[in-house]
Formats: sequence, C-alpha cells, structure tokens
Amino acid sequence: MATITPAQGELQVRTFQRSPLSRIRGHLGGLWGRPITQAILKAVLTVYVTSTITFGLIRLMPGSPVEIKIDELMQQSQMSYADAAASASGLFDINLNAPIHEQYFEYLGNLVHGNLGNSFLSKGTSVMSIILSVLPWTLFAVGTGLLLSFVVGIGLGLIAAYRRNSLLDHAVSTGGSIISSVPGYLIALLIVLIFGIQLRWIPITQMRGAFTSGITPGFTPEFMGDILFHASLPITVFFLTHIGLWILSMRSATLAALEEDHVTVARARGLTDGRITTAYVGRNAVLPLVSQFAIAAGAVVGGAVIIEQIFVYQGVGLRLVASVNQRDYPLMQGIILMTTVCVIVANLIADLLYSRLDPRIGRAGGATGK
Amino acid sequence: MTAAATTVDRRDVTRLPGPVASIFEFLRTMSRKPVGLIGLIGVVFFLFLAYVAPFLVPLQDQVDVASIYAKPSFLHPLGTDFQGRDVVNQIVYGGGDIITTAILAALFSTLIAITFGSIAATLGGRIDALILAITDVALTIPQLILLIVIAAIFRPTSFFALAVILALLQWPALLRQIRAQVLSLKERDFVEAARSLDLGLMHIIFREMLPNMRSYIVIHFIIAMTLAIYAQAAIMFLGLVPLSGRNWAIMLYFAYNQGALFFKDSFFYLMGPIMAIALFQLSLVWLASGLEDVFNPRLRS
Amino acid sequence: MPVLSVRDLSIDYRTRRGPVHAVRDVTFDLEQGETLAVIGESGSGKTTLAVGLIRLSPRSARVTKGEIRYDDGKRAFDVLSLDTERLRRFRWADCAMVFQAALSAFNPVITIWEQFLDTGRAHGMGDKHKVHDRTRELLDLVHLDPNRVLRAYPHELSGGMRQRVLIAMALLLDPRIIILDEPTTALDILTQRAIIDLLRELRGKLGFATIFISHDLSIAAELADRMLTMYAGRIVERATVEDLFYRPRHPYSVGLMRAVPRVSGALGSVASIPGSPPDLIRLPRGCSYYPRCPFHVDECLQQDPPLLRVDTPDHEAACIRWETVAAALGSDAEAPVAEKLA
Repeated sequence: MATITPAQGELQVRTFQRSPLSRIRGHLGGLWGRPITQAILKAVLTVYVTSTITFGLIRLMPGSPVEIKIDELMQQSQMSYADAAASASGLFDINLNAPIHEQYFEYLGNLVHGNLGNSFLSKGTSVMSIILSVLPWTLFAVGTGLLLSFVVGIGLGLIAAYRRNSLLDHAVSTGGSIISSVPGYLIALLIVLIFGIQLRWIPITQMRGAFTSGITPGFTPEFMGDILFHASLPITVFFLTHIGLWILSMRSATLAALEEDHVTVARARGLTDGRITTAYVGRNAVLPLVSQFAIAAGAVVGGAVIIEQIFVYQGVGLRLVASVNQRDYPLMQGIILMTTVCVIVANLIADLLYSRLDPRIGRAGGATGK
Repeated sequence: MTAAATTVDRRDVTRLPGPVASIFEFLRTMSRKPVGLIGLIGVVFFLFLAYVAPFLVPLQDQVDVASIYAKPSFLHPLGTDFQGRDVVNQIVYGGGDIITTAILAALFSTLIAITFGSIAATLGGRIDALILAITDVALTIPQLILLIVIAAIFRPTSFFALAVILALLQWPALLRQIRAQVLSLKERDFVEAARSLDLGLMHIIFREMLPNMRSYIVIHFIIAMTLAIYAQAAIMFLGLVPLSGRNWAIMLYFAYNQGALFFKDSFFYLMGPIMAIALFQLSLVWLASGLEDVFNPRLRS
Repeated sequence: MPVLSVRDLSIDYRTRRGPVHAVRDVTFDLEQGETLAVIGESGSGKTTLAVGLIRLSPRSARVTKGEIRYDDGKRAFDVLSLDTERLRRFRWADCAMVFQAALSAFNPVITIWEQFLDTGRAHGMGDKHKVHDRTRELLDLVHLDPNRVLRAYPHELSGGMRQRVLIAMALLLDPRIIILDEPTTALDILTQRAIIDLLRELRGKLGFATIFISHDLSIAAELADRMLTMYAGRIVERATVEDLFYRPRHPYSVGLMRAVPRVSGALGSVASIPGSPPDLIRLPRGCSYYPRCPFHVDECLQQDPPLLRVDTPDHEAACIRWETVAAALGSDAEAPVAEKLA
C-alpha cells in the first residue's frame, strides 16, 4: 500500500521503539503471558533484591564488623590487638577493604553457586550446610502446624457460617478472634508456664531439641514418633496462632459463598446438602484463603524464631538467635536469604494450587463464548 | 434494619451540640456490638495505665530480698519479681515506652503507606508497577527475621529509632490496601471532577481522597499498632534493644534470662506482663473490628 | 386435571418491623402442558411465589397457610408437607426452575459436565454414560455443541449459552413443571428472542407445563396460555392472554398494559403508573391498589375485594368497579388496550 494512515504510521513508530523487554516478550511468545512464567520471574527478582539488602545491611552497619569482632575477641579472651586482628581477619573470608562493587559482584557470583560463605564460629563450616541442617526442622514444625490449623480452621469456619448466630458460632468466632490476637510467643510462654511448670503435665525439658540424642535417624516409626514428640509444642503454638485466622476468614468467605446464586440453583437442582457444602460452597469459599495461606507462611517462619527459642527446638530460629548473639554475620545473611527463598517457594506453590483450583485464573483463551 | 428506630434516634441526638452528638452517636453504634465496646474500654484503660497512672502511683524499684517471688497479697496484688519488686508497679511504669513506640511506628508506617500507596494508584503506569514490585519483595522477606538482624546490627537505643525500624518493615501490607482503596475512589465522581478542574495531584490526594479514607486509615493505624507491639516485644524479649528496664517486654526478657520461667513461684510475676501485652493486643484488635462495623454500615447485620 | 393446584398460599418474610406479607391467599391451577404467566411490578410477590412453590425461599420466609398440591397422575402430594429428603427429590425431578440470574447460575469452579452429572446423581441416575448420553441429547436440543460446552467452565460461555445450558439442565430429569423466573431479563434483545423461540419449540416437543414469571408483558403474551396479574402479593386478575390484553378488568392490569412501549404507538403513549406499591407490613384497609387507582370510589376502602367473575367463567378480577373499567375501555375487542387509551 502506498499511503500510510496516521494510525499505521504511529503503529510503525511504536514497533520500532519497542523496549528490549518487549522484544524478549516476543521471543518467549506464549510463555510470557502465562502466570507461571511471571511468578518465577518475580521470585528470581525477589531473591536478587533480598540478597542485595542483606549484602548492604552488613556494609551499612555502624563501625566495621571486623573491628567489632576484634574488640569482642580482645574483651573475651584478653588477646592483644594484633592477635585479635589476625584471628578476626581469619574469620572473614571476604575482604571488606576491597571496592564495594567488587565485593558485591563476588558475593553475587558466590550466591549463584549456592555459596553463602563460611560461618564465623565454626571455622570452615559453610553457612549453607549449617542452614540445611536446621531448616528442615523448622519447615517441618511450621508446615505441620500451619496445615493442621488450616484444615481444622476451615472446618470450624464452615460450620460457624452454616450455624450463623448460634451459640457455637459465637463461641468459635470469639475464641478465634481472641487466640489470633495474642502473639504466638506469649502462647508458648503460657504453655511452658502453666502446663510445663505449674501443672507439670508436659516434660518440657525432655522435649527440647529436634530429636532425642542417641536415637538413630531414619524412617523408623520410633524416630518419626520421636520427631513428632519434640516438635509437638512448636506445632501446637503454630496451630493455635493461626487457627483463629482460618476460622474467621473461612466463616466470612462461607457466608459470602452461601449468598451466591449458584448455590440457590444447586438447591433447586435437588443436590444433596453434602455435595452443595463441599463442592459448591466450600470449594468457592476456600479459594481466597489459599493466597492468604502463602502470606501466613511468611509470617510464621519469622514468628518461629522466638517460639523455637522458648522451647529450645533445634530449628533455624534458634540458630538465628545464636548467630545474632555471636555476631556471625554470614550466617545471619544466609538465614534471611534462605527463609525468604522458603517463603517464595510457598508462594509459588500457593499460586500453582490456586490456578488449579480456580479455572478462571490461568486458563486464558479456551472456549470463550461468542 | 430498624430504619424507623434509627431515624427516631437521630432526632434525639440532633438536639445535643455537634461534637457531643457525634460522640454519643459513635458510642451508641459501638455498643451495638459488644466486642467493639470491650475493645474501646480496654484501650482506654491501658492508655490510662501507661500515661496517667505513673503520675498517681510512686515508682517502687528498690530491691527487697525478703520478698522475692512473693505470692499475690494486699501489698503486692500480682506478687513480686526476682528482686522483690512489685509487679503491678512495673506494669504501670512499663506500658509507656512500648505503647509510645507502637504509636510512632504505626504513624510512620501509615504515612509511608499513604504517601506511596496513593502515588502508585493515582499516577499508575511504571511508577505504580515499581512501587508494587518493591512492596511485593518487602512482603516476601520474613519480617521478624529481618527485624531481628537489623536490630542486632544497628542496636537502636531510643524508642524513636526503634519505631523507625519497625515502620520500615510494616508498611507493605498497608500500602497495598491503601492503593486498592485509592484505585476504587479514583473512579468516583468527585475525584473525576477535581481532576477535570486540574486541581493538582497533591490537592486530589490530600483534599479529596484522604478525607474519604479516614475511617479506613484509623482502623489500619490500630492494626499497625498491634503489629508494632508484636514485633518490638519479640526483639525485646530476645534482648536486642538496650532500652530501660521498665517495659512489659523487658520484664519478660529478665524473667526468661533469670530462669524465672522455671520457678514455680514466679507464675504471677510472668503472668503480669504476658497478660498486659495479650490484653492490650486483644483490645486493639476488638476496637478495630468494632470500628469497622461503625464505619461500614453494610457489615452491620 | 391440574398438575399443580395452589390454594390460599400465603408467605411472610420476618423482619424487625414485623412480617412482610409478600404473598397473600394465592390460589391457581396449572394444567398439564399449559403455560401460565405471572406478571406484575417488581415487589409484587411474583418471585417469592415462584421460589415458594419449590420451597426455596430464604430463611426469613415462612409459609403461613395454604397448600401446594402436586399431582402428575401417578403420585399426588402436598409439597408443603414433604420432609427434607423427599423435597430434595421433588425439586428438579418433578419441578425444575430456570432462574433470571443465568450468568451466575453455575458453580464457577467445576465444568458444565460435572454440574450435569451432579444433577443426575442427586436424583439416582447412577449410570454416568446414561447421564452423558441424555445430556448430549439435550444440548443438541437447545442448539449447543455438546463437545464444546461439556468441557467448558461457566465463565467460558456467553450469557445466552449459559441460559441454554440451564434450560437443557432443567430438562435432564424430564420434569412435569418448569418454572421460568424472568429467564430473559439478563440477556440482550436478540438473545432474548432466541431463548423465547427455543422455549416455545421445547414446550411443543416435550409437553411440560410452565409457570412463567415476568414483568415483560410482550414476552409473557408470546408464551402464555393464561395469565395472572399480581399486585401487593395478591392475584388481582386471572384471564386468558386474549382477555387480559383486549379486555382487562382490573385497573392495575390496565395500567400495566399502558406502561408497555409499543412500536406502533406514539411517543406519548407510554404511561407509568403513578405512586408506588403499598407497604406490605402495614397493609391499608380495603383495596391495596386504591391510592393509585383512577377508578377508585369510597366503597373500595371497605374490604380488599375478592376475585369476582367477570365477562366469562375463565376471567376473574379483584375489582368491584370492573364494569366501570370495562365501560371506560369500550366493548370492542379490536385493538389492544394500550392503543385505545393513548
């Protein structure tokens, strides 16, 4: 065509000026638009930003960490400055005197290889190996507690909504709102205080650690039982601190779902109450809670710190407090980074689950009506 | 709803002078839902305890070895601590710092969230995407863990510094909600009108939108306070904030570090600060939920 | 013999101000295979009546008296006396309902096929293949492509398609009665047309009886054999379509006719009925249409008039002034009322 309309012209200019990003988009084609691709990109970005923050934090701290360590060594073990300095510099396998961008790129380079540096305290032990030895215990306790609370909470919330304004509803809703407003570590303290010390119902000292020493780890019923025994108090606290959230959210989501037209139609269709409650009311009510679950996962990993401290449970939180008290900076950095990765993975799983549960998400196209 | 009854109420109320009438109306609505009223009473009680009671009760912090871990008595209604000091007295003097820090932290985080939330929603486009991306990242990092590390590195020594750190960590959730709220307000007529009059971004945000979000902001301010109390009590319990010894959370820290947790006699000593924090938190949450009902008549049933 | 006979049915809603008398003393018969249209303004009680017939009213509603007798020749019972389980089986199998909210009538998170299967299973159709065959047959009947529709989720279908699916689903168990509650309100005008044609076609093929709830007189007129006019929870006129359109005898029916815009009429010919329906909690004494009625006299305030026989045995109106109304309209049956009064 010889003539170009203004609109076409603009289109051409726009195509010409396309940003590099949109060109990448073009190459990725259909993959780009998929929520999964975007979620993964977001995850990578978050890991990158978090690692930059942790990198910056240590460099921003008032006073050099080396000097602080030297001071500490001198005070603790009456070393001379020179001895202390030598011993402190041995601890740091990073050179804090190098230009900041060199340090940064080295740090990122190490990260890509999964190298989080070495711990100050136990020389030669990599931060990654320390974290990997404690993180599973935290994830086990947190995951179990959260899942249990989710299952029980949505059950109770559903019942409360069905029996709206009954005595049961009032009891469950009020109880849920009380227990969810009390910080988890206070509940943990109360458990120790009342059931451990005053009543002596719970052998709290025996329950410390992740498992009883001397027992051989493995997939034996004995070991599994022992793990559960040791994790039971943290699990109880994670359960109690979150059940209120699920009860209240599920209750209001169910009340909203019950108002939906399709539920009335399902009744008119003569479906059984059981089928309506599970597939028509429950399934729709649970949807918004799935994304809430991911957010809760992030908060509960943080909250685990003090709860592990109180119960002396050998998880990442206990390790974090130890690293803070000993100024083990690489370990602190590593813990922030790895717990963030856990939250990201939880988010990804929640996203995936959500797109499976709700056909309206992530199935763009398809048999759209004419 | 009782449409007729409400109109009658209104007529009664309008005879009173303006501000009194609105307070009266507010209390009347609050009292419809007992939870909100209990929350209000609780919050007022704790504010009185923290800011007024210290002027009425003399500080008792002399060590009394004779009455360590005393049981509750007339002299010591909640018993004594590991140095024989009165627990009630410590509760009275230990609320000020923690509540002030919470109020400051809530104030700062609300300011951050409102400013950037409304900028994101009003300007849209790339700025919106950028602010939202930062918010998402900040939401993902486990905040208490980051807070513990930051507190360990910077050792905040004033409650002002502590409030700033707390605020830096808790704005993201609020920002998202403010942004959503502004986005929906943006569609309303009066904002459209202001925009067509070319009244400027700041005018639109502060004169047209914020007044319409007042209730929303008040509720989230209260929620931000609960988060701040949760987080600061946590790091104080770990002994990461070298603040004065008179503070509910520091009481817990001492109790825990003195091994009081494992003394059968120390029950009341520990219950004091635990209950103070727990009940204050509960009061705030219930107040917020009561306010939600007052401000959002649609929820009243 | 009527498949459904409703006698003195009254339904209240409980509110804080007191009971709302949404349906009052409604009596009618629905013959096998006939289409009965119920017309009236919103708030006249027609939807309350419709959902009340299958006892699907909200919790705040209560049937205060009456009888809903179902009789298909093999079984006869009062719907109001059914226990929960038998009521569940009665719904859809004997009396299906097509709702106005077709857009949200389906569970958004499961496929159309699963919803057909749910419906079949709830009524003892254990054989999945049988349900499947029957479903495909019905989707063909409502002119939809089964291959495409069965796999789809509700949001993937257009409003008109969803309404067709709901109609097909209503036919799954071969019910003797189908209640259509404003089945075309949420649709655009062309889709409305198509749905009306479809309903007429299906009725001819399958011979079910229909209760058609509508505020749209022209659509009601196209489908119905007989019509009921409802006002303030009561039936105020009962007539054949012919009679109601050409010889309405209740002033409210006349008002409804005049409120319909007509292609042939002049612009000024559309008139709304002044005033609004009465408060159903504190009903005024006498005829509830009195304040809005152009024909009212003091006598109207003495009692709420019963349905009186007018003109023919098949025509009843609850108006003591029906003769005056008739005189005002003239006796000739040549033109519809709306044009005459213009």
